[in-house]
This record gives sequence, structure tokens and C-alpha cells, in this order.
Amino acid sequence: MPSERRLHPLSFVFDIVGQLRQLVVPGLVVLVGAGSAGLGWQVWLMLFVIPYAIVAIIRSLSFRYRFDTGELVITSGFIFRNERHVPYGRIQNIDAVQNVLHRLVRVVEVRVETGGGDEPEARMRVLPLQALEEMRERVFAGRAAQAGRQPAMATDVVQETQPERRALLALGPRELLLAGFIDSRGLIIVGAAFGLFWEVGLFDPTIDMVFGENESGRGLIRQAVRALLGEGVPSIGRMAILALAFAAFVLVIRLLSMCWSLIRLWGFRLDRIGDDLRAEFGLITRVMATIPIRRVQTVTVRESPLHRLFDTASVRVDSAGGDGAQGGAVKRESLAPIIRRADLPRLLAEVLPDVDISGVTWCPVDPRGFGRALRSSLVMAVLFTMPFILMLGWWTFAWLGVLVVWAWVHSKLYVKHLGWAVGDQAVRFRSGYLWREFTVARFNKIQAVTLAESPFDRRARMASVRVDTAGAANASHRVDIPYLARRVADELYHRLAGAAARTAFRW
Amino acid sequence: MDETSATAAGEARAPNGSEAPLAPGAEPPRESPPAPEPLLEKGHKLESDLDPHGVRRLDPQFVPFQQAVGWIVTATVSASALATVGIVWLAADLPRWGTALLIPTWLLFTLAIGWLSYVWPAIHYRHTSYTLDEEGIEIRSGVWWRQVISVPRSRVQHIDVSQGPMERSYGLGRLVLYTAGTNHSRVELAGLSHGVAFWLRNYLLPRGSDDAV
Repeated sequence: MPSERRLHPLSFVFDIVGQLRQLVVPGLVVLVGAGSAGLGWQVWLMLFVIPYAIVAIIRSLSFRYRFDTGELVITSGFIFRNERHVPYGRIQNIDAVQNVLHRLVRVVEVRVETGGGDEPEARMRVLPLQALEEMRERVFAGRAAQAGRQPAMATDVVQETQPERRALLALGPRELLLAGFIDSRGLIIVGAAFGLFWEVGLFDPTIDMVFGENESGRGLIRQAVRALLGEGVPSIGRMAILALAFAAFVLVIRLLSMCWSLIRLWGFRLDRIGDDLRAEFGLITRVMATIPIRRVQTVTVRESPLHRLFDTASVRVDSAGGDGAQGGAVKRESLAPIIRRADLPRLLAEVLPDVDISGVTWCPVDPRGFGRALRSSLVMAVLFTMPFILMLGWWTFAWLGVLVVWAWVHSKLYVKHLGWAVGDQAVRFRSGYLWREFTVARFNKIQAVTLAESPFDRRARMASVRVDTAGAANASHRVDIPYLARRVADELYHRLAGAAARTAFRW
Repeated sequence: MDETSATAAGEARAPNGSEAPLAPGAEPPRESPPAPEPLLEKGHKLESDLDPHGVRRLDPQFVPFQQAVGWIVTATVSASALATVGIVWLAADLPRWGTALLIPTWLLFTLAIGWLSYVWPAIHYRHTSYTLDEEGIEIRSGVWWRQVISVPRSRVQHIDVSQGPMERSYGLGRLVLYTAGTNHSRVELAGLSHGVAFWLRNYLLPRGSDDAV
């Protein structure tokens, strides 16, 4: 069994390309900044590549791995030899990425991820496709064998021995376009492109054409802002053009976002293989991510207003491990970029077995929360208005009036849509009225429970309860329930803390 | 605080009759490692860390320790404030009353931080406590923004006991629990006596049965 495997013979090429890619952006910056003044530096760059190529060749030749019983053993390094043992049971994911270049030669880049740490435990650049399949089989079979030693996992073993492949979700082009339309992720690309074109001056002719005078485009926004602030009456024609331009801009963003989503998520499919979820997607760069179901830490379902319009939602999972790496980001967002509302319970039932999804009765937060939310919004409104009092003059009162109405509506809806529920296995929390999100955290994934009480909470005899889980991304929705009556909060806190303590945490 | 501990005892907690106060010589609660006692005999009074309700307090030495830290901070801040005052006096063309106000303002400022660093440690001490049970540790802290955090024993990844040079002279140590969580991946309990910190570490380290990663 311990016959050693090597990387693909062409590995060093990808190693070099991978390194060179980091130089592309600075290279472009230099090109744009300095114009096309001389090609000398490129020649010098070549000198850096040559020794690097030698190192890459040696490195890829010295890289070996073998499947021992119970662990994956990776040896690497020529001068400093390094041997790493990764037990199969610790392996979280085996992710594979395949870009165009990879696909030409029929190889993949493989990342083996374990629980802790920000980086993949092992990165194999690159392996032949068959080797990936072999690795998956060996690792997952090894894991099943390990699990078999524990009677509690007996049911899993049965499933592992005949790993059936069941499609959970497959997205066609139409759905991907819809996902792109709803997500509007194109904003970043457009923003970057816009900034670049603006600097280069590509827009100047267009702007000159629109306004029929030779004014620098850079003054446009400034003028509009000045006009809005009441310094001189804006010409209606100009305002209309501005509005139109804005509308066109939004449309272009949406369109680009749709294209981007189509390219990035092309042929998206989510399968269940034995006890793992496997997501595959991408037109140019093909990503294959594997997430063992028991490693799912929290599940978040998100519904934007547009999602509701099309009767859909998107689902994300936080899985521990590989946090900082690109692979981590990919996994996290892509459990279901878009899914029909009707299919949601089925998917959740697969991802969260033994958590009852259907019969949730949401408990509201304390109704007095409205008053508190309103008060804090009002304070914010006043603080926000203060600096502009001189500029607004008597308009201050009208402006404040608008803000007060808005604060009232916002607080009412916000507090009304907060909700929590505790089941046999998990705690749920939902929030948001336009952009609704709800998160499910299983008890055995809870790391710590906090009961927090601010001075305002104390005055109103309230508290909030927070649940900490592994692998939660910075901006992700978490179980953080505010405005609970003190008694309810105490009870919830003890219930969650007790439930967490009684379950054993498994990565 | 009374209110919470009352509920704490009642609700969703394994019946902990045995969770009674811990005399220095007595066995720690059931199934805890037998070793830790020797560490407690370095002149630390464990009784003072306990009260009959199982709510444990920090080491009383933490108050003078924090006061000492406070004095140092006060002296530093006050000295730099004095320097600022001097610069303002030399550089800015202040009216007579402004010059007259400079020194009293500085004095008031210094007194204020001095007073705060004298009073605050005791208040902080009163508001910090922890409880142990079979399942883990519960730490209460915060004077204005209060929080109670519960870390189950089974979620503790590893534990540090650390001690700075000043803490050493007061016989204090701090316990740092690491979990796999995100916000509370590091839960710190400062101001324990060093021996108690070690004892807690041994008490809280996960037992073999939970170790299935």
C-alpha cells in the first residue's frame, strides 16, 4: 500500500505560473502609470524567473505523498526535508481547482484542509485527475474505517460503503443569471473598471459629447453635489441626464453581475456523496469543493427583496477550517447561490439532518424593544443632522421629521422581524425585514454562549444572548439575539449553555 | 447579579449538590484530576476565592495590583499632560486667565485619573466572578457592559496560564481559554492567584472521552 505518489510531471510550470500571476497586477499598474516607456524591466524580470524555475522543478520532484493506513503522509523539500502526517479523520475538505491551463493538460490543483489554521494543510500543485479521484476514495474510505471503530458512527459506515451520489441542486443558465441579477456582485468589478477608465480619461470624450462643452468630467459629480445642496438652481436637463446616467449605471452593473455569475458558477451542481456535500462550478476556473456534512458549523439562509420577488433564497454554510485561504471563501458562499423557496426545506434537511426545519415557531423579542430601537435610531438621526444645521437652516425641521418617520418605521419592522427558536438540536435566529436572514446553529457546534447586558439593557431589564461558533466569517449573520426580557434571556442562556455542554464537539 | 445567580441555580443545570465550597485540602469536585492540590499550598488562601454559593471571586490581591498599575498609568499620563501644558504655555499666546487655568486643569485631570485608578479596581473586582460546574466554567464580568460567558469544558481547545513581572510580585496569574470559536476564540480570566490559575487549568482541560476530533 505505501507506494509513493508524485505530482504531475508538469507541476513546475503551474508553480511558476502561480507565482507570476502575483506579478501581473503590479505589472499592469506600472504599465498604466509609466506608459509604454521601455521594456527593459521585463528582461530583468526574466532573470528572476530562471532560478525560480529551477527551485520549482526541484520542489515538485521532491514532493511525494502516500496513503498509509489511517493517515496521509506527505514528504516535501529537497534540502530541508519535511514529512507531514495528516490523519484521515482530521481532513475537513479536499478541494480542487481547475483553471483553463489546468484543463488543457487535464490536471487539478488540490488543497487538503484540516480543522485548525488559516492555510490548507497541504497544497498539491498539480495532480492528474485520476489521482484526485484516488485520493478522495482513499481518504474517505480511511475515514470510514476509523469511524467504524466507534460504534456510535455505525450508521455512517453503512452509508460510506456504498457512496451513492445524489443531486441536491443543479443550476441552469437561467437560474445563474437570476442569481447574478439578485446578487449584484458586479459592483466591485465595475467600480474598479470605472476608476481605471476615469483615470485613463476614456470618459472625457463621452462627457464632452453629452454636455456639449469642453469641461473636465471630474467636475461633474462636484457640480451635482453643489446643485443638490441648493447652491444655485440645477438645470433640469442636467439633472435628468445625471439620473439617466445613474439608471444606466445600475443596469450595467446588474448585467455585468449576471455575466460574472454565469461565468463563475457555470454548471453549478451540489451533490451528496455518502456523508459529504460536493459542490462543482465554474466555466473558466472549475472548482470542486467537498464539505463533510458533520463539519457544517452554521447554516444561513438569506432572502433579499429581489429573492422574494422571484420566490427564491440563497444558502451559505460556515464550515470550520481554511478560513483565510481563497478556498475557504469559495466554499462558504456557494452551498446554494440561489434556490427556489420550495426546494429549501429539502436542502436544509440534507445539510442539517435531525434538525426539524418545518415546524418552527419563532419566539418574538420583547415588544419593548421597539421603544429602545426607536430611541437609538432617533439619537443617531439627531447626531447625523447636527453637523448640517447651519447649512440646512429651517429645512432642519423637515429633514428631522423625515428621519423620525423613517426611524419609527424602521424600528417597528426591525423589532417585529427579530425572532429566535430553540429546538431539540439547534438554535435559530432571524433578523432583517428587507434583507432577511436566518441562521441555524446546532448545539454541538456552539463554542461559547454569552449573556450580555448593556446599561440600557439593565434599565429596561433586558439582555441579549449570543452564540459563538467556529468559522464564522467576519460579516456573516450570527446568532445574536437582542432585546430579550431578562428572565427569558437567562433561561435561554442556561438552556443553550447546558445543551452545548452536554454535546461533544466534533470538528 | 443576585437575580441571575438565582436563576442559574434553578434552570437547566445538572444538580450540583457536590458543587459546594472547596476546602483547601478537600477533593475538587467529582472526576476532576487528583493532582492539583500541591499547587495550592504556596501560601494562597483558596477559601477567600470561594463563597458558599459556588461563586468564586478573583484573588483579593488583584485590587492592589490593579491600583499599582493604575498609579503607573496615572503618573505617565499626568507627566505627558504636564509636558503638553508646558508646550501650550510656551508656544501659544494665551490670555492671562487662560494661563492661570492651565495648572489647575492639569491638577484636576491628574486627580481624576488618580482617583479613578484608586476606586475602579475595587469596583471591577466586585463585578468579576466565575462559577465552575461539571460542564465547564462561567465567567461574569463588566461593570457597565456586563456579560456572562459560558465555556463548556468540551469546547476548550487548550489553556494558557501566564504571569507578567508585576503579576508575579503580587502572586497573580491569568488564565486564557482557547476555543474554536470566532468572537470568543480567546477567553481571558485575569487576576487569579497563580496557583488557582493552575488548578483551574487542570480542572478545565477536556477529559479523554470528549477528545474525538
